[in-house]
This record gives sequence, structure tokens and C-alpha cells, in this order.
Amino acid sequence: MEKSKIAEELRPFFDPAAVAIIGATDKKGKVGNVIFENFRTNKERGIFRGNIYPVNPKLDEIEGYRCYHNIKEVPDDVELAVISIPAKFVPATMKDIAEKGIKAVIIITGGFGELGEEGKRMEREIYEIARANGIRVIGPNCVGVYVPDTGIDTVFLPDEKMDRPKSGPIAFVTQSGAFAAAMLDWAAGAGIGIGKMVSYGNKLDVDDADLMEYFIHDDEIKVVTFYIEGVKDGRKFIEAARRITQVKPVIALKSGRTEYGAKAASSHTGSLAGADRIYDAVFKQTGIIRAEDFEHMFDMAKAFAKCKLPKGDRIGIITDGGGAGVMASDAVAKFGLKMAELSEETLKFLKENFPPHAVAGNPTDVVGDTDAQRYKVAIEAFVNDPNVDAIVIITLFQVPLLDEMELIDILSEYAKKSDKPIVAVAMGGKKTEHYAGILEDRGVPVYPTPERGVRAMAGLVQYARYLGRRKE
Amino acid sequence: MKEEALKIIEDVLAQGRKSLVEFEAKEILKAYGLPVPNEKLAKTLEEALRYAEEIGYPVVLKLMSPQILHKSDARVVLLNIKNPEELKEKWEEIHENARKYRPDAEILGVLVAPMLKVGREIIIGVTEDPQFGHALMFGLGGIFVEILKDVTFRIIPIEEKDAWKMLREIKGYPILAGARGEPPADMKAIVDLMLKVSKLIDDLRDYIKEMDLNPVFVYPEGEGAVIVDARIILK
Repeated sequence: MEKSKIAEELRPFFDPAAVAIIGATDKKGKVGNVIFENFRTNKERGIFRGNIYPVNPKLDEIEGYRCYHNIKEVPDDVELAVISIPAKFVPATMKDIAEKGIKAVIIITGGFGELGEEGKRMEREIYEIARANGIRVIGPNCVGVYVPDTGIDTVFLPDEKMDRPKSGPIAFVTQSGAFAAAMLDWAAGAGIGIGKMVSYGNKLDVDDADLMEYFIHDDEIKVVTFYIEGVKDGRKFIEAARRITQVKPVIALKSGRTEYGAKAASSHTGSLAGADRIYDAVFKQTGIIRAEDFEHMFDMAKAFAKCKLPKGDRIGIITDGGGAGVMASDAVAKFGLKMAELSEETLKFLKENFPPHAVAGNPTDVVGDTDAQRYKVAIEAFVNDPNVDAIVIITLFQVPLLDEMELIDILSEYAKKSDKPIVAVAMGGKKTEHYAGILEDRGVPVYPTPERGVRAMAGLVQYARYLGRRKE
Repeated sequence: MKEEALKIIEDVLAQGRKSLVEFEAKEILKAYGLPVPNEKLAKTLEEALRYAEEIGYPVVLKLMSPQILHKSDARVVLLNIKNPEELKEKWEEIHENARKYRPDAEILGVLVAPMLKVGREIIIGVTEDPQFGHALMFGLGGIFVEILKDVTFRIIPIEEKDAWKMLREIKGYPILAGARGEPPADMKAIVDLMLKVSKLIDDLRDYIKEMDLNPVFVYPEGEGAVIVDARIILK
């Protein structure tokens, strides 16, 4: 029952049949103009399939679209309203929206609770209207929602200033609008696909827990990433987190590692319990994987998006450079994983099929004169070895005899057919980046250093362990 | 369990206090089946002498006063009292120390307790987070908690597997597992303690704000654990 309720309540934010843009304008660079243009161009491209209704009391038409003076004048049903008008007009507009029967509202406008008492009062008024009329609200003071598949894009930073990422199975949720914009731009550059982005700003209504509940049932999304500044309702957060982590991984980056506990506490325990330690506890108990930083978060997200979950923590490493193999082995120990002990059969198979100067073992070093077929021998052996749970393959594409595309074919084929997770590490410059991009498009996550590749794998192991424990 | 605990809490609140003295805290712990020593609160010297006989010498005296929460600072914990003569002397001394430390101290009585065999020290505590509610803390006592802050938390209620994970994830775990030829500590007793504290707080979360069980002595496997000192702070 709960399932269909939250899924249906939040659906219009991600796939509305019609959107009203309240505060749409033809003045270039204004927030209301960028948002309108985002929808208009996405409609022209055939990505956004709903109707668009600009609303502005001073305009009759924008770019060939009829502009309505009030939302109530729009003749057809509207599923989503995006508001970018000054804060003082928002409460009255909310009443109109309620009368019009719209159930989903994104308030981009800032200048509410973050600025003081009057803003807080307006927020309460908006909240009361929303509650009384069954309206769900994202924002205020946010950049809203970005969904590349359905053409929803309320991010008011224009295309020429901020690249938009392609679609993918990663959801990203953040309070901060600036962080959302920077992250989208970065993800676009890094080739990371984002299926849904939500920036909820002041979190008047829709919060982390609601979004977790929604993503439980969202088949497009395989992994959910959160940048968390603070949680309002801890119990609700814990319950939602426990539910979603049964179904898909959640990664959180928590800012504000400063301690607040010491001042208020009169017990020893209280003085030791900073906010950071409490969040650590919450994440551990709910199976949320904590990221150390932004890079760590998306390194793991990429692995979850592309890899199967490992059955254990025994890592096999294949490399064509000895040094990189040692770095990866160090990382295995550092991140609490184990080096797999290869079976006798594997070692025998490798020795039979390797030239004498290649190293059979863990790491297995195919050495600098390798070709793609020698990699294939090693991967085949590791995939079939019951002592290996997960495989890290280091490919220094620079070695002379290696046919890059042949190796990419082999890697992506094994990644697909093996039930073990495989991540690749490719260190190098522009040429390496080129091949790494192709390999990623073919479904294998690629990392620029052994340490980052192994750390991403450690995330998979951590989540697999959590699921294993829940089933006990 | 809950009724007994609530009665103590209501008594304390009725006296306008937020802090429970050790004796009161331990009564609540006892009501929830937590291991506290066989201690008795003596109001008079005669009672103290009788309890000491029952418990068996050597004994410990601890003076209970709502105004004296840091008992060692006030020197109102006197250890290793071997016979009735010594007890009579120490009875005078402990009251004098209390008067010197806080002339206005209201004295609820003197706890007569057995001298405990020293075990490995752990701390178990509870704090209340404004967003997530009560959290349970576990760590090794002494310098491990004071200086290294080697502690870990979970939100209450916890499950048994949380307790085992907490136990194993502190850096000092090898000390419990038996480093340097020591036998392993009674881990099951620690887990049991954590689960009982979790249950207690879950029941009394509307009343209790913070709790310190510090130290708790843990003995080798099969020999259990005992709460040496306890503090509870009400909301």
C-alpha cells in the first residue's frame, strides 16, 4: 500500500504529463528563462513529451508558447508546477496551485527559511497549504530535478555553462544546489550516467527518506547516491534506509564532520558522541555505504551500476606491470579485503599457457610483452577459480604488443558472462582515457589508479556482506 | 522491570533531581537483569557493619550524595576495608571528606560493596542524539576511551549482530580477544550487557537522557562481567 502511494505521489516530479513554469520569462539568463528553455528545447528534441505552460502575469507569449497570467487560467490538467518567482509571491501562488489541483510543486526560489523568521513563516504557510491539499513540494531554495530520459530539467544553469550528463542507472540526491550543478557538470565530463538528480534545498516537504522510498520501486535506478548535510527526521530516515538497502545499494557522503556533542553533554558518553560518529552508526545499521569524498562516492556508484556483487572478499589481481600489481595488493590490505589464494588448477593452467617469464600467482603478471590473448588466459583462469571472488584487472594500454580493442572485447565479454565482479584499472594519459571510455561504455568500470579500483571493489564487498548478514 | 525502574525515576524527579546517584542507577540496571555487585545502602554505621558481615570483608564504602557526582574527586570511595574496626574509622573519614568537599551535601547513605576482582575494563554508555534518538556506545575503558577515544556507536534498539560487530570493530578488540597470553574475555557477557542496556533505554527512552556504565569489569570467558560504577541522567 505504502509502495504505490509514494511512487504515485512523486511520479509527477520525474515524468509529468504537463508542466507549468510559473515565472517563465523571455529575458535571457533569468532563472525562469533558463528553466523554460530547458523544457522547450527538450520538447523540440522529442525528449520531453508533455505539454508546457509558461505562466507570467506580464507576458502573453514566449517563444511561440501562449503565456498564462495565472496558473488557474491554464485550460488543461497540469501535473507539475515549477516556481521561480520572488519568495513573497509564493504563498499566494501555492493557493492558486491548490485550486488548480496540481499535486507536485518544485519551488526553485530562495529567500525562505535560510534567511530568517519571515522566510520561515512563509515556509510554514506553504507547508500548510501543501498538506491540506495533498501537494508534494521539492525545495524551496533548490535547483530541483534533472531526468535525462524524460526531459525534466529545472537546473537553472544554462547549457552553454554547464554540461548535462547522459542517462544511467545512478540517482543523485543533494540538498545543495551548487553542489548539484557542479556534480552534474563533472559527471557529464567523466562520462558517468545519471538517471535522476534531485536537489531539495530547504527540504520543506520531500526529504531523503521520501526519495529512498521512491527509488525502492524505480527500476531505472540501480544505485542511489546522497550528499547529506543534515537529517530532519532520524527515525523516518532509518526506516526508509533499511528498506531500500534490501533492494539496492545506497551511498552517502556526509558533510560537517565537526562535533557538537561535547558542549551539551553531562555524561562521558555524550562528550564522545559527535554528529559524525552518530551518522557512522546510522549508516552501519542501515547498510548505507559511507563515501569518504565525492570521488569515492562516484567510484563506488560506477562499480554498483556495472558490476555483479561478489560472494566474498578474496580479490584476484591481473596486471601487465609489476609495480601496479604491488600497489593493488597494498590497497587490498588497506581496504580490509583479502588476496585470493589461487587454486592448484589455476596455477597449473597459467604455467602451461604462459611463457616462462610471465608470473603465475596473485597478482598474476602477464608482463610488458603481453598481447590480449595472454590476458584472456589469465582472466579465464581467475573467473573459473572458486578461490577468487572478485577480479581487478590492471591494463597498462601503453605496452607495445597489446591490441587495445581486442583486449576491450575480451574484458567486456568476461564481465558480462562471469558471475564475479570485474573492475579495470587503466593508468595513463589521453590515449588511455580514450580506451577507458570505450571499455566503460561496454560495461566495465575503469579507474585511473589501482587504489581507486580496489577501493570501489571494497564498496561492493561491503554491501554484499551487509545483504548476507541481513539474510542470516 | 519497567514498573520498578519508573518508581525509582519518579522518586528522583519528585526530589527535583535529574541525576541519579550510583545506587539508584544500579537499582534500575538490576531491574533489567544487568550484572551489578551485591551492594547495600547503609544509613547508619550499625547497618554498614551488618552489611559488611553479610557481604564479607574486605569491602568498599561509597558515599551517595546528589551533590557529589565525581566521587573520586571528593574522596568518598574508600577501598579495601578489612575488618569492623577499620570500617568504623572509614565511616567517620568518608563523612568528613564529603563535608569538606561540599558542606551542604545531602547524604543519602553509604554503599557497602564487595572488593571486586579487577577485570578488563570496558565502558558502555548511552547518549541522545537530537535527530536519531538514543545511541549506545561501547569501548574499552581507561586510556582507550580517555585518550584514544576508541569507541563505537549504534542507534538503539540494537540487534545481537550489531552488538557483535561493535565488539569487533574497536581497535582495542585484540585486548578482549586475548592479547599477550591472556585468556579471551567473556564476549557473550558483553553482548548480553549491550542488549539489556538497549532494551532498558528502549523502554525508558522518554525519561533517560544519558547513561555511563564506567567502568564495567569483564572477566575471562564464562566468568561474566560486572558494572562497577554507573550514572544515569534524566531528561
